[in-house]
Amino acid sequence: MMVLDGLSKSYGETSALHDVSLTINDDEYLTLLGPSGSGKSTLLRLIAGLEQPDSGSIQLNGEDISRRAPHRRGLGIVQQNYALFPHMSVFDNVAFGLRWREEDPVTDDAEINRRVGDMLDLVGLTGFETRGVGQISGGQKQRVSLARTLVTEPRLCLLDEPLGALDANLRERMTLELRRIRDTLGVTFMHVTGNEDEALGMGDRMIVLDAGSAVMIAPPEQIFDRPQTIRVAQVLSAYNLLQGTARDGRFQFASAQLPLPAGGEAAKYYAIRYESTSIVNADDPAALMQATFVTSEFTGGGVTYFLRGPDGVFEVERHLSRADPQVYQVGEKLGVTWDVRDALVFSADGNLINQTDMRGAA
Amino acid sequence: MSVDDTGRKQGFFQRNKHMALLAPGVVWMTLFLVIPLGMMVYVSFWTQTTFAISSDLTLKSWQTFFASETYFGALLRTIRLWLTVLALTFIIGYPAALFIGQFVRNKTTQTILLVACVIPFWTSFLIRVLAWRPMLGKEGAINILLQKFGLIDAPIEVLLFTELSVIIGMVQIYVVFMVGPIAFMLARIDQSLIEAARDLGASGWTIFRKIIFPLSLPGVVVGAIFVSVMVLGEFATASALSGRKVNLLGNIIVTQVGSLKWAFAAVIGVILTGVMAVVITLLLRVVDLRKEL
Repeated sequence: MMVLDGLSKSYGETSALHDVSLTINDDEYLTLLGPSGSGKSTLLRLIAGLEQPDSGSIQLNGEDISRRAPHRRGLGIVQQNYALFPHMSVFDNVAFGLRWREEDPVTDDAEINRRVGDMLDLVGLTGFETRGVGQISGGQKQRVSLARTLVTEPRLCLLDEPLGALDANLRERMTLELRRIRDTLGVTFMHVTGNEDEALGMGDRMIVLDAGSAVMIAPPEQIFDRPQTIRVAQVLSAYNLLQGTARDGRFQFASAQLPLPAGGEAAKYYAIRYESTSIVNADDPAALMQATFVTSEFTGGGVTYFLRGPDGVFEVERHLSRADPQVYQVGEKLGVTWDVRDALVFSADGNLINQTDMRGAA
Repeated sequence: MSVDDTGRKQGFFQRNKHMALLAPGVVWMTLFLVIPLGMMVYVSFWTQTTFAISSDLTLKSWQTFFASETYFGALLRTIRLWLTVLALTFIIGYPAALFIGQFVRNKTTQTILLVACVIPFWTSFLIRVLAWRPMLGKEGAINILLQKFGLIDAPIEVLLFTELSVIIGMVQIYVVFMVGPIAFMLARIDQSLIEAARDLGASGWTIFRKIIFPLSLPGVVVGAIFVSVMVLGEFATASALSGRKVNLLGNIIVTQVGSLKWAFAAVIGVILTGVMAVVITLLLRVVDLRKEL
């Protein structure tokens, strides 16, 4: 178990990481989501020991390892660009850590062969041993990089945007592979990503990092359903965020008067998930807000409609299992509606007001 | 002239575009490299008399070269000096290149340091060579300083007009040709490779041995080729700093051409070219440059 306590780091004037505390359990899949520049890589490098924190500490099983050299921390890092040694074969790359580590190197060739062979088998690269790393595809490089780290049996494996450079097809396959490999070995994965689908789909727990602070740490479902702050909702890119004021039991947003969920008297922000909204005729009495159709995007299983609301873009997601895709004219006046129990409201300082699930209560 | 005709003409150039592009280079190399090389080999078999040369073929010049202690000795001396200079430029140049390429992370500073290495080249070659005389001489700067500090009683005479002074001069001049290519290769090594190796538990020395040095080898080979080609053909440094006591193959060519012994000069030219060809071939065996650059 690793405990990070109040980690801070700044580069010159700019603060990259501010007072981050979190606990990393044994045998879990942890995802770290944050937009670029949020301090993801800094946090990763601090944990790995490639950088020193300005303040705060890192404890591994109760022992302070903040000042310990990277390779004595019992963790492995899989870099974003794979960082494979270009002058070595796949086998030699994977065997590097076993052969050349300072402490307790494996000198028995038979054992190296066995362990590297097992690992290549696990990542599905048996038969590639003698290939040069310039002769394999991006997805295979990714696997070699992973195997090279995992063969040294780290307790914690840090993955820096591991799927970032892969195409969509491969990405999907590696998603499953990563989970399978982790389950087989029982090692903790900390997977850093800027992609919200990846973070939501893969992690047992998820950390949302924004502007150098860990703004929310929780299981993905909880983060998706109840983002603690307006920033979390923003990072997820699944919510329409409206800014306005609550007055007389309604939420005033530009020209629109929206129904407030219970307890939302102090609301400053109003959030409604793309897929919780639906499009109706402009004169439908159920319409909560007027909007103009801009464009739509077919996503395979559904359609995302982009509308111009009273103040900025408003997105509506419709799953095709529910209904056939509707075709609208550009500039067509439409109404949007949603169940008020699906709405989230946030206070002026950006914190979620309606903590409990209203749908359950109703 | 019909339209058809022009069409065919264009077609000819279209079809033979790569030939047209190659032609200037091929003509140039044939005129100024292939033919002269062939001539050199041919002339080395000509008959040389004291005042004349005739194109009757003979092996006499070749026999003289291998039979003579002086000339064959010069070949061995050239090879020995070349190996010494090559080793010293590597030993002195590699750490400098390592510093510039790996320890200086700022690109501007890297460039400034590399340019600084080239500054001596702003003075002429001869001045750079001759400037060693007041440094190394019996009454030179080094001897005077050592005597002032009482480290030696009598001046060290071996410093100037010996093989040592030639080596010192050559190493100083050519070391930069070793530093440049190596620093370039080292600067290209992705830092994440070194981080990855460190993360996998390798010590600094192991990382150097297993990652940094192998990846810088192409630079070492290119640098070695530069230094080798220049040192093997050297004559100016040797004559200026050895007081004409150290004769390299280059010096002998100069003397022989000076006394119009063309056939003999050609023999040495062929031998020198052969040595360089072997050296370059061997160096290229070390690394597949096509793959690395």
